Amino acid sequence: MKVGFIGLGLMGRPMALHLEKAGHELHLWARRTESLAPFAKVNAKTHASPAEVAAQAEVVIVMVADAPDVEAVCLGAEGLAAGGKPGLIVVDMSTINPNAARTIGQRLGEKGIEFVDAPVSGGETGAINAALTVMAGGKAAAFEKVKPLLEKMGKSVTLIGDSGAGQVAKACNQILTGVGVLAVAEAFNFAAKSGVDPAKVREALLGGFAYSKILENHGQRMLDRNFKPGFKAWMHQKDLRIVMEEAHRLGLMLPSAAATAQVFNAIVGSGMGENDSISALMLLEKMSTPE
Amino acid sequence: MQLGFIGCGAMGRPMAEHLLHAGHALSVWSRRPESAAALIAQGALWCASPAAVARRADIVCTNVTGSADVEGLAFGPQGLAQGLAPGSLHVDFSTIAPSAARRIAARYVATGVDFVDAPVSGGSGGAQSATLAIMWGGKSALATRLQPIFEVLGKTMVHVGEAGAGQVAKACNQMVMVAAIEAAAEAARLAVAAGVDFAKVRAAMLHGSAGSRVLDIFGGRMAARDFAPGVEARLHHKDYALLMDEATRLGAPLPVSAAVGQQLNALMAMGWGMHDTSSLLRVLEAGTGTDRA
Repeated sequence: MKVGFIGLGLMGRPMALHLEKAGHELHLWARRTESLAPFAKVNAKTHASPAEVAAQAEVVIVMVADAPDVEAVCLGAEGLAAGGKPGLIVVDMSTINPNAARTIGQRLGEKGIEFVDAPVSGGETGAINAALTVMAGGKAAAFEKVKPLLEKMGKSVTLIGDSGAGQVAKACNQILTGVGVLAVAEAFNFAAKSGVDPAKVREALLGGFAYSKILENHGQRMLDRNFKPGFKAWMHQKDLRIVMEEAHRLGLMLPSAAATAQVFNAIVGSGMGENDSISALMLLEKMSTPE
Repeated sequence: MQLGFIGCGAMGRPMAEHLLHAGHALSVWSRRPESAAALIAQGALWCASPAAVARRADIVCTNVTGSADVEGLAFGPQGLAQGLAPGSLHVDFSTIAPSAARRIAARYVATGVDFVDAPVSGGSGGAQSATLAIMWGGKSALATRLQPIFEVLGKTMVHVGEAGAGQVAKACNQMVMVAAIEAAAEAARLAVAAGVDFAKVRAAMLHGSAGSRVLDIFGGRMAARDFAPGVEARLHHKDYALLMDEATRLGAPLPVSAAVGQQLNALMAMGWGMHDTSSLLRVLEAGTGTDRA
């Protein structure tokens, strides 16, 4: 299949390469041309604009940072809508505001272009190992057409519901992972300040009701003091901003997510935004030690 | 002075009336013409568009709801920018995002128009009694031109800093004020849950270290269970989105504000957005079920 791919960053590059390895012909455009370098020797054609990509491809995958970027790629002057023929399917795998996703889907729909929101969980490691969790929203027919592509990048691919539903699921995912990482960091700092070995606490807790993947994986990285991303703290901050914006729009009380978002503000504000989000532990340590 | 005024709501109308009664010539425009009728009856001149207001005025005041409203008035079709002559002044009393105020000021530079963000605190009561607290951002040299306008509207006026600084001060004002309303509500809830009369507790606290204007006014409304606005809670809810967004942008943790913002979200969901923000008490009561004050 001719597959367009826009957004060749930490996540997008390995994802696009999986598709190429599976025999698909890539059509690429990048804001920074150096992002195209890893594709010089594979079956990939580069283009001057998203519109040109859309004119060539049957499916275009977008993997960029935030809603304004997705909007620009889809609906900008030289955007996908300007070049795509009716029947084109655009799959946005970025994490953006659900309401923004619905609006973009609607605008593309006016041109006969299908839109599927398909954000992912699993971070860079998941992208490299083609082990992402993909949460999709959109029409079932469009989803079925792109599902084989999504399965080349992810291990678990689920249609959650209508347009925007994938982003709602991702927002839920970010509430659980954000609050979860902070809870583990709080527990470990509590143990350490009480003179108890957090490693032993983790080991004991893994067998009980407090077991979680976050306690297991993120917890281990906290014990190893390995703060390399993984998933950067500033991205988690951004995702929680999306969650809190939606909560505000809906009039929805999310007390834990709100408190957690403030901790992420502090992480980013104190210069640890480029670290993994488990840096929540370092922040708590700093705030429980005399200056 | 030739003044323009746009935005004739609960705040804007009494403010415009004060300017009119102080002897200024006032040109007005409103999205809903009927909201300007009272001002016209008192001698204000109706104009067909913001641009038309701007052409007649040296200084145009606006008092509307959100960032997008102010930007639309300034730079939309038939907007103020099309009518304001170089050297004229746009004073915005609305509460909007500091970043939006900075953006508007920057866009005006090319046309030689000065922009002042001058949000106010004091509510519609303060607007009526001309006792508003005005916090403004913009070039300090504009102070002498602003003085005759500000002094008929407010009791205090503070130049906080450059463009956007007034909005930063207003965000701080809202943060401190609504957190205090929430604290008063929690005190009321605790008192009543413990079987004690909150009106007595409030009276006892009022002249001690915990005494505050919020405890006086909003605490008074809670004690009287009078939830008529005052300040409509939906407006505080709107302001919280602005300030939490700034906190995220700046990487500044605001843990208490974040918690208060969630109580406001619950208030909105329970349908009290048009009521006074003292309804935060009812959000707490909903979490208890019994023992209403």
